[in-house]
Amino acid sequence: MAEQDTQMQANPEDWIRVVSDDGYSFLIKRKVANMSGTMKSSLDTSSGFSEAETKTYHAHDHRGIIVQKLLEYQAFKSYYVNDATKDEVPVNEFMERIPPEIVLELLLAGDYQEL
Amino acid sequence: MSRNNVRGPTSALTEFLRSSGITPTTVARRAATRNQDEPVAGPSNQAENEPVQDAEEPEPEPESRSGRRRRRNAATSGYASDELDEPETPAKKQKTTAKAKAKAKKAAKKDEDAEDEEEDTYTALSKSILPTRPPIGNLEECAKCQTKFPVTKYTLAANPGPGWLCHKCAKSAGMDPFKKPAPRKRAKPTEKRNVAYFEERRFPSLVSICINIVSKHIDDIEAFGDIGALNMESISKAISRNRSLTSENVHLFYGAENTFLTLYDTTKLSPDAFVTLGHLNPNLTTLRLDFCGTLNDAVLGSWSTSFPSLQSLELLGPFLVRVPAWISFFQSHPQLQSFLITQSPRFDLECIQTLVETSQGSLQRLRLKEVGQMSDAFLEHIAQLSGQLTYLDISDPTESCTEDAIVTLLSVVGSTLAHLDLSGHVELTDQVLHLGIKKNVANLDGLVLSNIPELTDAGVSEFFSTWGCTPLSVLDMSRNPSLATGALDAILNHSGPALRDLNINGWKDVEDSALEKVGKAAFELRKLDWSWCRDVNDFAMKELLDHCKGLQEVKVWGCNKVEGKWVSNGTRTKARVLGVESHTAI
Repeated sequence: MAEQDTQMQANPEDWIRVVSDDGYSFLIKRKVANMSGTMKSSLDTSSGFSEAETKTYHAHDHRGIIVQKLLEYQAFKSYYVNDATKDEVPVNEFMERIPPEIVLELLLAGDYQEL
Repeated sequence: MSRNNVRGPTSALTEFLRSSGITPTTVARRAATRNQDEPVAGPSNQAENEPVQDAEEPEPEPESRSGRRRRRNAATSGYASDELDEPETPAKKQKTTAKAKAKAKKAAKKDEDAEDEEEDTYTALSKSILPTRPPIGNLEECAKCQTKFPVTKYTLAANPGPGWLCHKCAKSAGMDPFKKPAPRKRAKPTEKRNVAYFEERRFPSLVSICINIVSKHIDDIEAFGDIGALNMESISKAISRNRSLTSENVHLFYGAENTFLTLYDTTKLSPDAFVTLGHLNPNLTTLRLDFCGTLNDAVLGSWSTSFPSLQSLELLGPFLVRVPAWISFFQSHPQLQSFLITQSPRFDLECIQTLVETSQGSLQRLRLKEVGQMSDAFLEHIAQLSGQLTYLDISDPTESCTEDAIVTLLSVVGSTLAHLDLSGHVELTDQVLHLGIKKNVANLDGLVLSNIPELTDAGVSEFFSTWGCTPLSVLDMSRNPSLATGALDAILNHSGPALRDLNINGWKDVEDSALEKVGKAAFELRKLDWSWCRDVNDFAMKELLDHCKGLQEVKVWGCNKVEGKWVSNGTRTKARVLGVESHTAI
């Protein structure tokens, strides 16, 4: 058991917790979290960051609703980016799901997360 | 009359076919094996008048003769689009494969010749592959249902095996001669329009999706919620990073009460958009536009009247603006405090003269970076700004100014300077340090002397050791490969604790003894670039990261000895380390 703790393998099916600025918690699979460059590097087990051990990512500066949309995008991306059979990605459907009230905040959050 | 020896002029196509060994015979043979019924006729040199010899079945024989008639009928009755016509006898095929050959045929065949030439030689070949249909009107037995049916021009051949199908069986087999070919399915135009927003086959990023939504709702500013609370700077940077700033979504940043405006990438803005910018932001005092290549004379003309309060203008890339436009702009803005432009081949002596005259009392910051016509004459005019100039950047000219001119300039304006950039003036030597800077400049905060290869290590180290100046916070002496340990030691002694931004990129000979001192001596560093300093190793990095708590960025490009071992050693830092070789993903 102790050996397992010191040498964690980054299993893509693991559940990761993402905590937003105002206390909301989201559970997503690691492969979805890896869609974001910043999340991936901070959760990387070989980096020695504390986030990697606790499998928790704190999204500072981002409100809950923004984090929720970010994760929704990541799930959307992880589903379609490897699905080479479909040549039409329903991006418009996703666009409709973003309310314009949050789009500017989401823009900044997406830029920070390298999405 | 024998066709064997006489050959008329032949076309390129004929030659090619002949040389490749493609003859009607081989084609017919190929078709015959496909259809498995047609007898292969004799060699291609057969005279057309000769009937087909090896016709075993009764059908092909009348075909050959009637075939010719068939062809004529086919030609006159129009081309049956969805079925291939009967093939010719080999001799016929020979005729149809090459128009030129047809021309060489005898006059007796002139009817068919004419018809052949009328018809497309492309399709004529394919027409001749399939079995010839029996003459129209004949009663034939259907290959499938064995009923007798009259042959028409729409009769189709049985797909496997010999024979012909009556209309009913042909339809049931799926080959309806009357059915029009299915129209090609076109992608719906609406879908295509949406695809154009994103690059094909690249998954759209969240940022680009958001920018699209912003552009869609640009007229409905209230829908965006409380914009003031957000950092407009960051949004502007994020949009510019994608090169997505357009004439539409740039309105997001306009406001009648704004006093400063910074757009990091205005490549896609048209000149009209710049004019509109002027009209919609009348109270601007500070304007910065990067990559403003489309900026032209008309825009500056409009700006002369639309920015009454403008004091500071910073432009990257205004190369289209001509001299008269600059002059009239300066004349309309006599109180400019800060004029910073990069990259303009047209900005000339007259411009700088006018600028200095009109903004005589107020101009404090001047940047003429990468200005093609920079010369000593310019410096004479700039010298008239003595007593007020705090920021001077005349770097990267096409031709270096002479040392004397620069020394003279510094003697006049040096005392007030807080920032000086003389990079790229390759004629400068150590003398400019001693005579120009040391004597005249004592309040400097930032010094950039990049790419001045004549500077020597000894000269620079002596300069810093004896310079009576306030410590520098910004120092960039990159791309001077002859500078080394001596210079670095002197710099650290002079300005160590004050240094925030140090760039010694390219100092390949600096020894690790000096490099390891950087961390301790310059503990306030925020940004350090010591790329291509070959002796930088993990120990030096560790010293740096341990002592400089405020470090944000370290560049170690080309430092082969750096491997990143300090991480496992427990050294934690928020700094971004760029350029570690082992991090390169190949």
